[in-house]
Amino acid sequence: MRNMADPPLQHDTDDTGVEPERESKPGMPRWVKVGIIALVVLVVLVVILTLTGVHDPQPGPGHGP
Amino acid sequence: VTMSPGLRKFALALHLTLSVGWIGAVAAYVALDVAAATSRDVQTLRTAYLGMDLISRSVIVPLALASLLTGLVMSLGTKWGLFRHYWVLISLVLTIIATVVLVVETRTISHFADIAADATTSGDDLRDLGGTLVHSVGGTVVLLVVLVLNMYKPQGMTRYGWRKQQKERRDQRLQRTALVQ
Repeated sequence: MRNMADPPLQHDTDDTGVEPERESKPGMPRWVKVGIIALVVLVVLVVILTLTGVHDPQPGPGHGP
Repeated sequence: VTMSPGLRKFALALHLTLSVGWIGAVAAYVALDVAAATSRDVQTLRTAYLGMDLISRSVIVPLALASLLTGLVMSLGTKWGLFRHYWVLISLVLTIIATVVLVVETRTISHFADIAADATTSGDDLRDLGGTLVHSVGGTVVLLVVLVLNMYKPQGMTRYGWRKQQKERRDQRLQRTALVQ
């Protein structure tokens, strides 16, 4: 179903004889939403661990002894 | 741009070889990384760090770059496209992130290898170096996620892909109408 707020489809008003598109725009799949939530939780966890000093980032070149 | 069936098969075989090779090389790297993080033996530590440096620079980085390149060719040369399907888009983003982190991490690994190669470095200094286990295990997980996405190709079209599909269908209908007339 198209939302009222959706912009009108281009050929709603044309006279080419082409059927107006009635397929709705796809939403974001559930597996993508779950993945994004899992990623955000992971990032927050890493930030918390880093801030509390549990996870120390490895010393790189220039930071070494 | 659509590849011919023969060329597509060759590109797919190449892409699979490079991608699976990348995962295999990372698995070998993780084994050395675990040794570097857990061993107390100086000889083992020196060998592990030198091996990690060699594998990352000579095998993992070239495989990662080649895999990314062949992945781009595969998506642009087939009906999947690069931004049409969520699984392709997410695979691309994850592969780019993994490659960037890998390239950055290579500097740290080389730094560790330089210290390990220095005969004057004491055993305690070597044991304090630690490893890159968080990144290597994290990288392995990311690569396995990309592998699963590529195998299962979960449904889900982006808005861009949907618009392109609608346009193609419209064009096809217009062509058919023109042919009939």
